[in-house]
Amino acid sequence: MGKIGLTTTIPVEVILAAGRTPVDLNNILISSTNPGEKVEAAEVAGYPRNVCGWIKGLYTVANELEDLEGVIAVTQGDCSNTHALMETLELAGIQTIPFAYPYDRDRDLLKLQIEKLMAYFGVSWKQVNEIKQELDRIRRKVLQIDRLTWEMGLVSGFENHLFQVSCSDFEGDWVKFERKVDRFLEELSERPSSAGLIRLGYIGVPPIVLDLYDYLETIGARVVFNEVQRQFVMPHLAEDLVEQYLLYTYPYNIFGRLKDIEEQIRLRRLAGIIHYTQSFCFRQIEDLIVRKTLELPILSLEGDKPSRLDARSRLRIDAFIDILR
Amino acid sequence: MICGIDLGSRQVKIVLMHSGQLQKMISYETIEFYRQYGRQESNQLVLCFANLPLGTWDKVVATGYGRNTVHVKGADNIPEIRAHVLGAIWQTKLSDFTLLDLGGQDAKVVQVRQGKIQDFLTNDRCAASTGRYLENMANVLAISPTELGQYSDNPVDLNATCAIFGESELIGKVLEGHPLSRLAAGVNYTIFKRIRPMLNQLHSEVIIFTGGVALNTALQAIIARELNVKVLVPPFPQYNGAIGCCVYGGGDLCG
Repeated sequence: MGKIGLTTTIPVEVILAAGRTPVDLNNILISSTNPGEKVEAAEVAGYPRNVCGWIKGLYTVANELEDLEGVIAVTQGDCSNTHALMETLELAGIQTIPFAYPYDRDRDLLKLQIEKLMAYFGVSWKQVNEIKQELDRIRRKVLQIDRLTWEMGLVSGFENHLFQVSCSDFEGDWVKFERKVDRFLEELSERPSSAGLIRLGYIGVPPIVLDLYDYLETIGARVVFNEVQRQFVMPHLAEDLVEQYLLYTYPYNIFGRLKDIEEQIRLRRLAGIIHYTQSFCFRQIEDLIVRKTLELPILSLEGDKPSRLDARSRLRIDAFIDILR
Repeated sequence: MICGIDLGSRQVKIVLMHSGQLQKMISYETIEFYRQYGRQESNQLVLCFANLPLGTWDKVVATGYGRNTVHVKGADNIPEIRAHVLGAIWQTKLSDFTLLDLGGQDAKVVQVRQGKIQDFLTNDRCAASTGRYLENMANVLAISPTELGQYSDNPVDLNATCAIFGESELIGKVLEGHPLSRLAAGVNYTIFKRIRPMLNQLHSEVIIFTGGVALNTALQAIIARELNVKVLVPPFPQYNGAIGCCVYGGGDLCG
């Protein structure tokens, strides 16, 4: 069965119920041997310099992926650049399937979107709900990894990020992924707890800079809250699939996200927040809302192309950790 | 004797301090400095000071852009924001202010209350509000940065957000026949427009202005006039970070 590319998290149950393999194109890009080259390849193809690096990388990944049957492009609730991504992929002969999260969290509209997707793949609610049961079991285990991160200090910020971000597509094979999660949980039972690290929250889209988490740990700080990545796991597991994707905060307005963030700041006793935004992304505007709303020190960090942290970002991170000390 | 080093993007500043007294201040052009005193050791640039004509000291404290990639032998490294705040407090004896540091390639704004850092902002991935930009623009106008820094009245309107496109826009204004004073004031105003949101966000009644750009008297006047604040330039604005390093190392202590 063919692969279905995803531009961000969507009700992946539908794809799995249809027997297709979901592939989060973002994960393929960032874990490839040279993600920077993929961004450059899109620029060579004509993508402008001042457009988000993720979109450009996704374009190249989709073009290179073998057995790709189609790409589900989230046209509302993620990034409007996806519209043009979709069009350029179509031009390249790739089938695209639009999916829109309603901005106002309208239940009926979301249900309609999910049912349109189900009709496209020819699957029933019964099939979708069966898969949901399986995935929810894995999600609970990944949420356990998250709990062991902030409550017990057993998991590094990067590991936490990686397991959570993998829940958008369950690495294409949820049976294999569950085994990986089980093995990791087992390994954790023998790990000593790390204490004394400054507790940070990371909010915003996953970083395009590869060594942020590791760098933070070398200077005595750890991310114990990955906001959007945690949302990919669906922390508010609901019986009903539509309800679950309504509780998912990321695609709706920022105020819902901030409510979740504020709860987690208290629960996880965070000392500071890193707000990451992608260069040229509309979410850079939202930084001012984040700064006005959250009452703890915030470092706004920007990433452009896939790379290691540059000296300038390291300098700003150092100063930030310094004031939290 | 404490030696403070600020490894800036354009200049390396070195200050020697003893018992609260500044003993020596010296600066080098960055690339020239690395060429002369740095050497490659297992894939890292290591700075060796044995050849520096500075005498002897007990301790070296380093900060600045370069400290992440350059290993300064035997030095303590401190974050730049902290170094600059320590320097500003030492130089002005104030403890409540907003520090504005405009250097060769970056802009920093730090809010300080009771001698402690409350919050800070820096420019990101753009040099359009920095010394490098002023140098380029002075070049376009065929005047020195010092002369450029004297005009603040009746500025021409410059809108380009990019330092490079700003040059072509300025050339356009030159061709329109505006007098030099208005062109130079326009350049100084573009810097102000860039830093204004940061200064608003981290507001104080007193702005301590440091870094090489602090020598631009027009910009001092524009900030004071437009924001209705007091702008203070300490005696050694360019050496502020290196002075802060000395303070951190205990060079301000007596005996």
